[in-house]
Amino acid sequence: MSGLRLEGVANAVLAPLDLTVRPGEAVAVLGPSGAGKSTLLKIVAGLLPHRGRVLLDGGELTWLPPHRRGIGYMSQDLHLFPHLSVANNLHLPLVFRGLDRAARAARVAETLALCAIDHRASRRPASLSGGERQRAALARALVCRPRLLLLDEPFANLDHATRGALWREVDALRRRLGITALIVTHDPAEAAALADRSVRIADGTLTERTAPSCSPSMTTPCCAC
Amino acid sequence: MRVLAVLVWAPLVLIVATILGAVGALASQLPLASLAEALASDETRFAVAMSLRSSLTALALALALGVPSAWLLARRRFPGKPVVETILDLPMVTPPLVAGIGLLFLLGREAPVGGALSAMGLELLFSPAGVILAQTYIATSVIVRSARAAFGAVDPGFAANAATLGIPPFWAFLLVEVPMAGRALLAAAVLGWARALGEFGATLMVAGATRMQTETLPMAVFLNIASGRTDIAIACALILLALAFALLLAIRLLTAERDDSLREDADVRFAA
Repeated sequence: MSGLRLEGVANAVLAPLDLTVRPGEAVAVLGPSGAGKSTLLKIVAGLLPHRGRVLLDGGELTWLPPHRRGIGYMSQDLHLFPHLSVANNLHLPLVFRGLDRAARAARVAETLALCAIDHRASRRPASLSGGERQRAALARALVCRPRLLLLDEPFANLDHATRGALWREVDALRRRLGITALIVTHDPAEAAALADRSVRIADGTLTERTAPSCSPSMTTPCCAC
Repeated sequence: MRVLAVLVWAPLVLIVATILGAVGALASQLPLASLAEALASDETRFAVAMSLRSSLTALALALALGVPSAWLLARRRFPGKPVVETILDLPMVTPPLVAGIGLLFLLGREAPVGGALSAMGLELLFSPAGVILAQTYIATSVIVRSARAAFGAVDPGFAANAATLGIPPFWAFLLVEVPMAGRALLAAAVLGWARALGEFGATLMVAGATRMQTETLPMAVFLNIASGRTDIAIACALILLALAFALLLAIRLLTAERDDSLREDADVRFAA
């Protein structure tokens, strides 16, 4: 197990960059809007063409299409399928993992409970609150038990109180499942709450930073980056 | 205020009254007993069956061709795309007669395409297959344009998210994008079907006007007016009007419900 390794990854927005995320580690990518943070995540997810290599646990993902990468990706807009209930949003990807009906139902129930959204299983996304939608999207990103979790400004649209509660829950959940994560945010407090260390992108260039110094329990920005 | 009311209401009343007047004048040409007799005639029943069979087949073909094409136009960029889109719109703006003449020359035995089809035993011209061809030609254009708008309204981020969840592209299209564009696609299909049902000019050129053979409802109106049998012409015209009204009402209800659901979504978004 060697985690995520990016070697010379670049495209029109990003200058060639190297980055290693150890197995089970969470790294936050900080930077201003338009710096290339989301672009980096989309490259790792296989959604954008690029130069360089993307390796996960020693295997090369560079040429794999997104649906064969085994990565969980939660975009800022969540993109929960509006025509499906929360439970069916989780069922659908499992259909393509070769699990039988009983195994799928068990996995969905377990993941919904993990993300504390099981009480909304039969609801459509449009009828959920903002925080419930974030939980549902997180549950969907985790339901296939990905080797790597990519979170793009995961809780940007929530009020401070809800964000603080979700940060603690997500951090605990990620550690419990031992998932490697790359988290894009412009909020240093969010980086401190969710990540073991952070890197910064500015003008498409990556710079390594030290471990976040803010307390994971903080709900508001605490340091300037 | 009263002047404004007259200015906006009077044109609306005039337009509606003219349309209803034309329909009423058509319906009042025949006593009810004669109308019932004409509706039950073999020729009218043939025209109804022919129209339904051919237009539904044309609709299936137009959907099979048009929906993937519309998705491609909505989702992908490629060289010459504006030219391709303009070409696809041509059948909607050219007179159907012109389209029919073009198809006639393309598929005639003297032409390379028509000759090749003929060598394979496929005779499309002046046959029921020609009716389907003409209707498909017209309906496809309508469906491509409407379905393109339907797919364009679906955020491509949903398909991207589906891919990261391990859902292969074809299934993401079928299980995510098509249902999300579903109501608009259904409206596109109804519109395409309506165009196929009412198609006349291209059918006349490609399939000919042969009684009890290529006789769709519009063709029955034409043939029977020309031969002085106004009872059957009026019966077929009234059936066409009734079908058109039902289909237009269906489109209106489908798009109205879509607008309502969009409003509901917006309400939830703003409330959240």
